[in-house]
Amino acid sequence: MPFLEDIDIAFIEPCVTDPGRVRLYAEPSRDLAEVLPYLNAVINHATYNKDGPSLTFMKEFRLITIYPRRITMSKVQNTTDAWQVLDWLKDLINDTYDRRGSITPVHGVRWRPTALQIYGWLPRTNCKACGEPTCLAFAVKLLLGERTPQECEPLFFPEHASLRRAFFEIVAAFGYPAPPGT
Amino acid sequence: MTDSTERWGKSVCVPGDEDREQERGSGGGLAGSMADVGIYMDNAATSFPKPEAVIEAMADFMRNVGASSGRGAYRKALEADKIVFRARQAVARLLGVADVSRVVFTANATESLNLAIKGLLSPGDHVVTTSMEHNAVWRPLKAVERTRGVTISQAPCAHDGTLDPADMEALLRPNTRLIVMTHASNVTGTVMPVAEAAAIARARGIPLLVDCAQTAGVHPIDIERLGLDLVAFTGHKGLMGPTGMGGLYIRGGLDLVPLKDGGTGGDSMLEHQPEWLPDRFEAGTLNVCGIAGLGAGVRFVLEEGVERIREKEAGLLRRLLDGLSEIPGLEVYGPRDPARQVAVVSLNVRGVPAEEVASRLDREYGIMVRAGLHCAPCAHRTIGTIQRGAVRISLGYFNTEGDVDRCVEALAGIARAAG
Ligand SMILES: Cc1ncc(COP(=O)(O)O)c(C=O)c1O
Ligand code: SF4
Repeated sequence: MPFLEDIDIAFIEPCVTDPGRVRLYAEPSRDLAEVLPYLNAVINHATYNKDGPSLTFMKEFRLITIYPRRITMSKVQNTTDAWQVLDWLKDLINDTYDRRGSITPVHGVRWRPTALQIYGWLPRTNCKACGEPTCLAFAVKLLLGERTPQECEPLFFPEHASLRRAFFEIVAAFGYPAPPGT
Repeated sequence: MTDSTERWGKSVCVPGDEDREQERGSGGGLAGSMADVGIYMDNAATSFPKPEAVIEAMADFMRNVGASSGRGAYRKALEADKIVFRARQAVARLLGVADVSRVVFTANATESLNLAIKGLLSPGDHVVTTSMEHNAVWRPLKAVERTRGVTISQAPCAHDGTLDPADMEALLRPNTRLIVMTHASNVTGTVMPVAEAAAIARARGIPLLVDCAQTAGVHPIDIERLGLDLVAFTGHKGLMGPTGMGGLYIRGGLDLVPLKDGGTGGDSMLEHQPEWLPDRFEAGTLNVCGIAGLGAGVRFVLEEGVERIREKEAGLLRRLLDGLSEIPGLEVYGPRDPARQVAVVSLNVRGVPAEEVASRLDREYGIMVRAGLHCAPCAHRTIGTIQRGAVRISLGYFNTEGDVDRCVEALAGIARAAG
């Protein structure tokens, strides 16, 4: 019996930042917490947040975050693409688990999103409510740890619910927990 | 009617003919009793019976899932999505395709061939095909000849349907934009030299479209190893699925103009068909029930193994050909060699019209075969039967040696009566 038998898609919606694509979350058939540090060692450029815990990485153009009981993906082409990537991920997880005796787990951060990537998940209105001249400037400060997500008020407006979910997926990588209700 | 035919006539019509059913192995996953319906030998038209798992998958979808795929965030819709993906994945695995999204579902091979031909050819293009094609290839080609001024060259095949790839290569021109050929003839069963054609096409950078209606599921096809560009298949023959299902493989990097535009689900904001496959070519609500059945059929084929299916059919074909060769007054067309054809044989009984032979086989012997031109006048012209047509016997995985023997005896009886 494999370590992980199944990953099932539980929710799909159009991608907020890219209308041609979709984002989704999926549920693994068992808890993945113990394999995350091993996956962090195996996947290049992944970001591991041990307090979440969560592991975030890009697979080509797709952004994937693995939590113990949930996997989120955004910028996915369509459901066929999603299933195909989830199958790949399931095999990777099982393979990593089988080989864990010969893998040195990595608990540190190995990759950080760029300011431009963060910017893609902000409202991009440059409304200055946060005190920065532009959303991009806010993204840079966020990366430097000089700002917190809560300081972008518009992000918490109801019309940005989907955007907010996606935003917190990416910033989860640095250990910002999503506020309740996102 | 002779005594023995009378016996057959009865035995095939009475349910519970246990010997035959055991031989067929119908306890192991066959839908329905063949004894109820006679001896089915029209598998080149559509396969029958279907594996029980196919019917179960379709009923389960209708009863318990019901939702349309790609259009909802609720769980039943996601379940429908998963059924569609798993079916696509099974087809990709069977046909040797790594990227599942390159397999597009259609209503049948005919739609797939229309999509490939009409989606690729532009005014002034030239296309090369063979003289053994089904109307599902020939008519779309004639349509673009008329509407787009496309020119067509037909590589001549021998009387047994075989093609010399050099004859095809000789027809290529600088403006040849497509080569289209069947993988196996639905009239003679002749397997075409697809690997050689693929090498020729690749050397010239011309896309090759292969019509696998008669081979998918019963003859090995390894799309990526052969380097095929476009492969049309139908779901209801060797793949064991229901009618109304088919598909097209489209190589990465090759774009086609979609046959239809419309809703594809998650990307409603876009004003045009999405670029991504398979959505680009799957506008409108999918036949999820049919896809569920096709997925189960292909999984059945994967479990049995194409090699094993081919071996069994080749054995039955050998037996049929041997039996037919003993009957005086028969004309049997095609290679007459199981190594060079799929389990399809066309023949005529001298002095008896094909339609009459088929009708007597059915009424007097309970054997179902097809007479006429089989939607392939090109092929019948090639083998010399364009005027009178032929009787086509097409075997399937669920036929038995007993079925073959009965068919041979029946034809012997008809030939004897005529001669
Ligand atoms: C060689 C060949 N091509 C194409 C087709 C068309 O298949 P469908 O009727 O499923 O579209 C058939 C069978 O009908 C066939 O035998
Ligand atoms: S408050 Fe948010 S939306 Fe407004 S400028 Fe700052 S980052 Fe951009």
